[in-house]
Amino acid sequence: MKTATLQKSDIGKCLDLLIQSQKRVIAPQLRPRLDSPDAIDVLMLTPLENGDNHQVGQGILPLNGVKEFLFVKHEPILAFENKDNKVHIKEVHHKYPETIIFGVRPCDAASIASQNAVFSSDNAGYNDQFFTKRLENTTIVTYSCTTGDQSCFCTSVGLEPDSDRGSDLHLTELPDNTLHVEIKTPAGERVANILAPLLQGEGDQAARDTAGKEAHKNVSRIRNSHLIKAWLDDQSNFDDEMWERLGEKCIGCGACTFMCPTCHCFDIVDETRGSKGYRIKFWDSCQFDHFTLHSSGHNPRDKQYKRYRNRFTCKFKIYQDKFNAQGCVGCGRCIRDCPVNLDITEYMKEVDLKASLPNALRQDPDFE
Amino acid sequence: MNIYQPHLMTINKVIQETPDIKTFHLVFQDEEMRDNFRFKAGQFAEYSAFGHGESTFCIASSPTRMDHIECCFRSVGKNTAGLFGLSEGDTVGFRGPYGNVFPLDKFKGKDLIFIAGGIALPPLRSVIWNVLDKAEDFGHISIVYGARTVEDLVYKREIEEWEQMPNVTVVKTVDPGGETPEWKGHVGFVPHILENEFAPNPDNTIALICGPPIMIKFTFEALDRLGFKQDQLITTLENRMKCGLGKCGRCNIGSTYVCLDGPVFWAEELAKLPKEY
Ligand SMILES: Cc1cc2nc3c(=O)[nH]c(=O)nc-3n(C[C@H](O)[C@H](O)[C@H](O)COP(=O)(O)OP(=O)(O)OC[C@H]3O[C@@H](n4cnc5c(N)ncnc54)[C@H](O)[C@@H]3O)c2cc1C
Ligand code: SF4
Ligand code: SF4
Ligand code: SF4
Ligand code: FES
Repeated sequence: MKTATLQKSDIGKCLDLLIQSQKRVIAPQLRPRLDSPDAIDVLMLTPLENGDNHQVGQGILPLNGVKEFLFVKHEPILAFENKDNKVHIKEVHHKYPETIIFGVRPCDAASIASQNAVFSSDNAGYNDQFFTKRLENTTIVTYSCTTGDQSCFCTSVGLEPDSDRGSDLHLTELPDNTLHVEIKTPAGERVANILAPLLQGEGDQAARDTAGKEAHKNVSRIRNSHLIKAWLDDQSNFDDEMWERLGEKCIGCGACTFMCPTCHCFDIVDETRGSKGYRIKFWDSCQFDHFTLHSSGHNPRDKQYKRYRNRFTCKFKIYQDKFNAQGCVGCGRCIRDCPVNLDITEYMKEVDLKASLPNALRQDPDFE
Repeated sequence: MNIYQPHLMTINKVIQETPDIKTFHLVFQDEEMRDNFRFKAGQFAEYSAFGHGESTFCIASSPTRMDHIECCFRSVGKNTAGLFGLSEGDTVGFRGPYGNVFPLDKFKGKDLIFIAGGIALPPLRSVIWNVLDKAEDFGHISIVYGARTVEDLVYKREIEEWEQMPNVTVVKTVDPGGETPEWKGHVGFVPHILENEFAPNPDNTIALICGPPIMIKFTFEALDRLGFKQDQLITTLENRMKCGLGKCGRCNIGSTYVCLDGPVFWAEELAKLPKEY
């Protein structure tokens, strides 16, 4: 594997070089969250016009993930027109510009493989080109974390704050204010070629590994999270009292699912003006009460806690069973952004405890 | 290829089954599709009235009769109302076929009992005509069908046709209060009539059940009391769907995606699923 060294202070110049090479460059920036003079700025992955004012390597996670640049929030998938009593349909031709997302955190980068497992032909042979064509034209430059915040738990789901999974070019900050650069794929190599004027000699692998280990210590870990899958596999736990107790406060707003980098659910509707229209695919959420509602009025998930049970099960069982992919990357967005502080790690910790206990204790009626 | 792009079909015929249920006979506008389209009994598709959306219906016609495709649907919402307003000659969108199939090979040489409630006869009707067109491969055919009222029964003409066939027994019923003075069938809920009036013998028999979840539950219980084993019961689920492709995340029961792994399930497969259907 090829490595190099980059000055941290040269990141802005890197972004400029990439923009000058006619690529669409997306990186974290501080942006007002609302369109109001009083709005506070938050970290957002944003298409850049130049390398000034980037926030690569700053803060923990941008509010938005890379998801919205691959699985777009709202996009036409078909155009149609009613003319002379006949329907004509047209392919919609999206532009899939060559895109570099720069400064992606390791958890977000790992989530791309999960989305791909759903949308690519790996899933029953059906290739969603709107996702896969975007992914083909996207290069991911990851940036290791030096620390997590209270909501981060990547190390509990098999990742590390310096993981390079899903990365084309991987950057790790070293204490001397340089960046260790690892070229992981041919796409990463192409980016490195553009950045060549700024890259110096080989990277210091030992310093990089030490930095990774240091960062690892700064993310809290749930001890036996590997037991969650088997606990969910045991169908008697489907009716465990935990689901209702912990899920009771969920108000079904869907924020956790929209912010989650691996949530992939969508709806399809038609939007028309006059005789012309588009068929639109757009983000939906299993947390909404109508999501599974039948026309008869019957609803298989008729209570909010059942919807959250589905979400938790999707992350720690369904993704593995159905898509052979990781369901949760531990980014903590669903915790940070929940209006009622529902915390997925509370479920994880409780399941960990239940699954770690010997059977006899688990069946003790006095045990809570 | 765009997996969400439908084929265009022309409505050749509209049959008003009940005040809010219609059957469409559909023909592909593209000649190549007309020649090459294949499906199997049990599969479903996404049907659209352009400008209104897409809805999941089974393919209600039999794969042994390929001159057109049929769907039968109730007007309950945006897209189904859009479809309901279309007439002969109009265009609908069609994506499919999707999902698994009724394993007809496993039914060979056996007696078959079809049990359906309300709008759930269409998926079984595909199988019924399929086996009637290959009658030499199967034993006796029984059809137990019920709806809320006489008016709500679909395929009324075909039910009369089936009643005339020597190897077919038809047991029809309407819910108490749904009968008319002329009604010659039973009065009572499907599982009750099945168990107490028809009481089929389970020997060498497969029961195919289609209906709302509550009907499936009570029908399974009735068949169990009649001595049917789990491996003699097969049904379909109608979890709400959108994509039909295993992507939109709407139809799952635990790790089972009804659009990919279903909609046809043996009773023993259902028993292994969490009760979320
Ligand atoms: C495998 C399968 C086979 C089906 N076969 C038939 C059939 O042969 N004939 C038939 O009439 N219906 C069938 N259905 C139900 C049919 O899909 C819905 O009634 C239809 O999609 C409603 O569309 P809409 O746009 O009119 O409703 P909407 O305006 O979207 O909603 C109206 C009401 O219908 C509910 N609804 C919406 N979509 C669905 C859905 N996909 N499934 C269940 N409820 C839904 C909504 O929650 C709401 O209560 C089948 C469903 C499945 C999953
Ligand atoms: S979860 Fe881990 S990888 Fe993601 S931002 Fe937090 S520390 Fe970094
Ligand atoms: S479930 Fe929560 S922590 Fe896990 S990937 Fe989704 S948003 Fe991140
Ligand atoms: S868990 Fe929180 S963010 Fe998710 S739907 Fe419930 S209230 Fe909203
Ligand atoms: S209908 Fe979309 S996943 Fe099954």
